[in-house]
Amino acid sequence: MGNSKYLGLYLLAPAGVFVFLFFLAPVILTAVFGFTNMSTATGISGGSYVASQSSMLALRDRYGLDDISEQLTTVRYTIDEEGLAAALEAGADPATVNELGDTFLGQSYETRRDVERAIKTLNARPSSVRAIKAIAGQFERSVANTRYETEDEILGAIAEFGIELTETESAAIIDVTYTGWVFTTQNFKTMFSLPDTKKTMINTLFYVFTTLILFNVGFALVLAISTHYMDSGPAGFFRSVWLLPRITPPVLYVLMWKWLAWDSGFLSVMLEPLGFEPRNWMLDSPTNAWTFIILINGMVGASMGMLIFSSAIKAIPEALFHASEVDGATRRQQIWHIIMPQLRWPILFITSYQTLSLLTSFEYILLATDGGPGGATEVWALTTYLKALSNYGGALQYGYGAALSLVLVVIGITLSLIYLKVFNFKDLTAKPKIE
Amino acid sequence: MRILLDKFTKKFSDLTVIDEMDLEVRDGEMIALLGGSGCGKSTTLFSICGIHKVNGGRILFGDKDVTNVTSQERNVGVVFQSFALYPHLTVENNIGFPLKLRKESKAEIKRKVDEIAEMVHIEPLLQRRPGELSGGQQQRVALARALIRRPDVLLLDEPLANLDATLRLEMRSEIRRIQQETGITAVLVTHDQVEAMSMCDRIAIMDAGKIIQIAKPRDMYENPVSDYVAGFLGSPPIAFLTGQVQDGNFVEPSTGTKMPLSAEIAASQSGRQVKVGIRPEYFQPDGATKIAGTVSFMESQGRETLYNVTLPDGSILRSIQGVHDPVHIGDRVEWGVDSAEMMVFDMNGLRL
Repeated sequence: MGNSKYLGLYLLAPAGVFVFLFFLAPVILTAVFGFTNMSTATGISGGSYVASQSSMLALRDRYGLDDISEQLTTVRYTIDEEGLAAALEAGADPATVNELGDTFLGQSYETRRDVERAIKTLNARPSSVRAIKAIAGQFERSVANTRYETEDEILGAIAEFGIELTETESAAIIDVTYTGWVFTTQNFKTMFSLPDTKKTMINTLFYVFTTLILFNVGFALVLAISTHYMDSGPAGFFRSVWLLPRITPPVLYVLMWKWLAWDSGFLSVMLEPLGFEPRNWMLDSPTNAWTFIILINGMVGASMGMLIFSSAIKAIPEALFHASEVDGATRRQQIWHIIMPQLRWPILFITSYQTLSLLTSFEYILLATDGGPGGATEVWALTTYLKALSNYGGALQYGYGAALSLVLVVIGITLSLIYLKVFNFKDLTAKPKIE
Repeated sequence: MRILLDKFTKKFSDLTVIDEMDLEVRDGEMIALLGGSGCGKSTTLFSICGIHKVNGGRILFGDKDVTNVTSQERNVGVVFQSFALYPHLTVENNIGFPLKLRKESKAEIKRKVDEIAEMVHIEPLLQRRPGELSGGQQQRVALARALIRRPDVLLLDEPLANLDATLRLEMRSEIRRIQQETGITAVLVTHDQVEAMSMCDRIAIMDAGKIIQIAKPRDMYENPVSDYVAGFLGSPPIAFLTGQVQDGNFVEPSTGTKMPLSAEIAASQSGRQVKVGIRPEYFQPDGATKIAGTVSFMESQGRETLYNVTLPDGSILRSIQGVHDPVHIGDRVEWGVDSAEMMVFDMNGLRL
């Protein structure tokens, strides 16, 4: 440790490893995955080459190579060792198979009927037509629907099949037949072209800022300031009560809200005598759904701001309150002129912290409405989760999901920068000018 | 404006801090509430400005009963120990804050701020924030803020406690100057007898929630009503000896030194134990009644030197003298007490 300049770095190195592994790497990987078409279909490791029906369709649509597609999907019948072995395996008479091999090995036929005819010419031909058809079936050959591990294999197979390809045609075939994931910007093109995207973004901004302004900052301020002017006993009680939602397990907490809103729940039972049809109040209309979503999140979110703001108010010297009082400040003027200026930094902190956590939080929405009714409360993070990890059809679009989360990351960073600017962060953290 | 506390009582839950205190501060007078910590002096101040609610008795400003008037309505200026300047406002806005709350016009506020800033000598600092000011400057700003709306009374809560020694000296005379220039009635709360004596017209000395004595500084110094008051005023402090009154003299038990007492005290206290207080300036080499002891402590205060002289039974006399022939710690000295200036107290501490 001769050079103590680097001591700090050495000591921080283990922490650095964890920061990289658990904080930086996931973001980088998300960014990388966002530019791929990874999905359940492609798998996450490399793929193989299959001239499937959809890839042939792509060959015609994207490259206009109709005739090549035609040829690739053409079925041929070739008498080869492989087919002979398969016929034996399937239980054909070895004498027939041997004679077939001796006589016709290497022969190619356009149709199955041609093969059957050839078999019928054999001395040791099977007596039943069905057996003949079964043997003929073993020699069906086509490039289509066969899995090849490498580019060379599939191109080799095509060449063997007798189709001659130019370089561009080869490239096109490789492109359309590859089943693994590839790098692409398609995710973003899709994202910006879908009408749902815009709606989800509007939902997200509405959800984040309404919850933030009404509850996480607004209501938290009301709680902190009102408990500041209470005696310490009741003040402590009120603060504890508002912490309860925070320490209730989310599933239970949302379940209680659901019970409140069910068609046989508290609200329905209470409102029925007043002439309101029992109904699921939460999912009854988009307005209702949003009201519940914001209440559910706000009740949980307000407690953190309340704690931070309360302690910040506690940190204001008592003498400032006394001074403002004798200076003639009413309680409202005191809040405005003494408390609020001292809360700038905590408000910035809560605003940015809660914006980020609201942007990425969807668990309460997932549990409460699952984005319903009819996608009315579907927010960006929920869409991401559904696309990437919980698609109804089971086709999980990892790449598209990653692209969606990448947008969230960008929005988060942008908003943080804007907040720092708006609240004049440099000024807030400036060193005191007096020691 | 006159301040009158009439049977003023203050309790914190069950604890009575001030019990039926009477105090009158005359118009234009500056009075000091002097006492050790916990004696109730700050509580009294906070009750006068309305921050504390009164539990009994009345508080009058002039003839107006303000007992139940909120601090916002009381028209008092307060300078707090910590100055309590608003950290996010400039000096100008700090001083103008009370006027801004009363919605006075910007031009009017500016004019008044400039006027008061000139009086407390902080014109060049108006655009700074409190964090950019020295302690003395903050003090001046706090004073200006307290005075700007021409309050009926000015209350100062340990205003000099947070300043360093030289600034304290400077601000002492500054506060007094400003108080006299404005002619405002002022109450100074302090635990420092030098501050109280040098700044105020009268001192109210407090102990355990009661006013022990209220008098002009000089009177109080010369005629304290109790040993507590005598001990509080004077630096270095007075020294006490306990002994018996015999044949018109106070007899110091360990040396047998006889110090003559006034005839009146000698007659009434004959044969009783008493306490005598001797101020350092009245125990000098050329004093009349010689008493012998050992120099146990010396402290040079520049122009003068303080000596502690320990008597055989361990009691201590203090002497403050101009610098002269060297005396060393451990030297045996025989200096004299000016017994006419001796203060005699009974064993309960009351002046005889």
